Amino acid sequence: MTTELLLEVQDLHAWYGDSLALHGVNFSVRKGETVSLIGRNGAGKSTTLKAIMGIVRKRSGAIRLRGIDLVGLPLHQVARAGIGYVPEDRGIFSSLDVFENLMLPPRIESGGFTLQQIYELFPNLLERRNSAGTKLSGGEQQMLAIARILRTGVKFLLLDEPTEGLAPVLVQRIGAAVRSLKKSGMTIVLVEQNFRFARRVADRFYVMEDGKIVDSFAAEELSERMGMLHETLRL
Amino acid sequence: MNSPLDIPLQAFFGQLLIGLINGSFYALLSLGLAVIFGMLRVINFAHGAQYMLGAFCAWLLLRHFSADYWTALLLAPLLVGALGALKERVFLAPLYRLDHLYGLLLTYGVSLVIEGLFRHWYGTAGESYPMPAVFSGAVNLGFMVLPLYRGWVIVASILICSATWALIERTKFGAYLRAATENPVLVQSFGVNVPRIMMLTYAIGAGLAALSGVLAAPIYPVNPLMGRDLMVVVFAVVVIGGMGSILGAVVAGYALGLLEGLTKVFYPEASSTIVFVTMAIVLLIRPAGLFGKDMAAPPESALHRPVELLEWRRWSAPVLAIGVVLLLAAPHFVYPILVMKVLCFALFAAAFNLLFGYVGLLSFGHAAFFGGASYITAYTIKELGVTPELGILAGAAFASVLGVAFGYLAIRRLGIYFAMITLALAQMFFFFSVQAPFTGGENGIQDVPRGNLFGLISLDSGFSLYYFVMAIFLFGFIFVWRIVRSPFGNILKAIRENEQRAISLGYKVDRYKLGAFVMSAGIAGLAGATKAIVFQSATLTDVGWQMSGEVILMTLLGGIGTLLGPVAGAALVVALESWVSELAVPAPIIMGTIFIVCVMIFRRGIVGEASRLLQMPTKFPGWGKLYAGLIRSKGTHA
Repeated sequence: MTTELLLEVQDLHAWYGDSLALHGVNFSVRKGETVSLIGRNGAGKSTTLKAIMGIVRKRSGAIRLRGIDLVGLPLHQVARAGIGYVPEDRGIFSSLDVFENLMLPPRIESGGFTLQQIYELFPNLLERRNSAGTKLSGGEQQMLAIARILRTGVKFLLLDEPTEGLAPVLVQRIGAAVRSLKKSGMTIVLVEQNFRFARRVADRFYVMEDGKIVDSFAAEELSERMGMLHETLRL
Repeated sequence: MNSPLDIPLQAFFGQLLIGLINGSFYALLSLGLAVIFGMLRVINFAHGAQYMLGAFCAWLLLRHFSADYWTALLLAPLLVGALGALKERVFLAPLYRLDHLYGLLLTYGVSLVIEGLFRHWYGTAGESYPMPAVFSGAVNLGFMVLPLYRGWVIVASILICSATWALIERTKFGAYLRAATENPVLVQSFGVNVPRIMMLTYAIGAGLAALSGVLAAPIYPVNPLMGRDLMVVVFAVVVIGGMGSILGAVVAGYALGLLEGLTKVFYPEASSTIVFVTMAIVLLIRPAGLFGKDMAAPPESALHRPVELLEWRRWSAPVLAIGVVLLLAAPHFVYPILVMKVLCFALFAAAFNLLFGYVGLLSFGHAAFFGGASYITAYTIKELGVTPELGILAGAAFASVLGVAFGYLAIRRLGIYFAMITLALAQMFFFFSVQAPFTGGENGIQDVPRGNLFGLISLDSGFSLYYFVMAIFLFGFIFVWRIVRSPFGNILKAIRENEQRAISLGYKVDRYKLGAFVMSAGIAGLAGATKAIVFQSATLTDVGWQMSGEVILMTLLGGIGTLLGPVAGAALVVALESWVSELAVPAPIIMGTIFIVCVMIFRRGIVGEASRLLQMPTKFPGWGKLYAGLIRSKGTHA
């Protein structure tokens, strides 16, 4: 793992209408690492991802990707700067079939997954490529949502609750996929409620509470932190 | 050789052909509307104007550049499409975050300006575009003779519809379009420039309209108003087909054209209303339209607040008192008939605002109640000889009954659908008024005697008439005010804020909406009935959909959802109209421009902005402390 800084978030505030949701978030992600944002419901984890992308538009502070400030860029240019975003609700389009869903996002960088690589990672998608997008099971939808972003060739992923509502066996499948992406050099920011999942893939953790980052630690320090985490997060 | 119903076969097929030709245009235009609506959630009221622009483009290209038909067929859509792209960026894009009704209102304003400009430049006589030489002949099909150009129109429309379908279903652009229709933000988060796709979509829609215009140029007169009444029929077609369904738009387009043709053969009197009747039937059976997805709870409008609601304020009472004094004194200073006109329209606008401002339902068909009542009052007084107050009651009662029928159909949908349905229903009533024997058709009912109030007081004297009208206005205005402030009114406002929540609280919202609709229709009828006595006439102008547009403008300009807004708006629009009539510029251009300005930057309207300014001091932090201090000192005394 290099120490090269990929993403830097400084004093990020974000609003939903008039109500402040992020109260000055600071964190950074190095190239090649998997960082997990953990915290209770409503702590601002998903909002942080949305604010980085610019889906939540009303924000202040600095978000720098490889030194380029993303605040102020239109949403599609944020994506073009090299970020892949997988939303919590997966966002599979019902009027498109599986194959169209997969092919929808445009190529952004070279080295994106080929169809063959995608089908190797998620064999289910090959079988179901002609089904309507929303006819898939929750797990298949999640695989499709991740797979279509891999096609774009971005090296930096924002994953919002990829295991939400999935059966344990599917959680393992997603976990295996995330680990293999990690191995291939992908940088990942993972928002996760399922702490057992996050601890198996993350290199570092940031703990969020009330729209702020309140703590951070590396995976190695996890065991000594468990007590504290039990208390603050009721894990 | 005769058909079973003794109709010559030639005539039968002839009508069917005309139906098919009309159907081709319905299909093309509703297709464009559906494409635009699907992506932008905008009902493009300017579609008819863009169709007209296409035809004019062809005609101008021929006249000034001697460009032939094929060049026009290529260039006109490009030019109009480019214009559309510009319009989308400048006017429509800033409105996307607001209620979709604003898009409808904006494009309505734009259509007024475009049509007004072309009327100003080219008059309404209509120009003729020569038939392209290739298509000048006809071909004998055995059972009928088919003029070649008409055959070409049918073939071309089928080709264009298929090409559009292929573009949407079979290309990458189409996939973006379909995906962005579902979730534009997510598509943009993939790196797709969605704003540009929206711009292109509008341009394609506008281009399709222009293409239809060029196709129409050799068979219909090229006239600035050629798209306008067609538009309303196309709205009905779109409602029948199912909003947002491409297939529905095309199938319904052809089918209704044919149906119209058949009606011309078997029952010509109904041919202009058959589409609207069909729409009413479809709404009863399948509110989502034939091909529409069932949307039990349409996402739009129900969740948006059309405007900020401005309630009764402390200064409202003195303002009202001053208003009444001014009204009492007005005829001594201003030409009374002008004030009476303002009062009639103010009442009309107040009625409209009851529905739009407080229930959030934009009716684009209130002219039917206004004009309908006007006819009934004029007829009962002139032909049946009843006294004016009975005539007015009859008019208002008629409007209420009509309101029950229209409301029952229209409240099945919300937001823009509601607007389109009311528009189509009102247009049906318009055609009824054109044909019904008692309305006097194009001439209307003229020279209505004002008569004696209660058989005693002659209304021919200016002052007695004025105070009579003023009394009616005040009655109507206070009635609206009472409704808004009643528990019933609170439930209406709750429905407007969040219909689902109102339902979950156990309210039968449909009953409340229907109730509000009927009251609004009744008061609008009262206004129209009074106008019939003031102007001693009832004409088609009062039932035309331009009248519905005018009352929207008044309310928008004055301030939606404010009590005094409709009055201020009506006064201003009436004054403007009498001023504009002396200018060389046609009124629609001015009105359309005001529409655009209001929608873009002045959405609170005059009264809305004024009360926002007057409200400012209460936000001064010192007041709160002062108030808290007062409460505290009171407390210690007790």
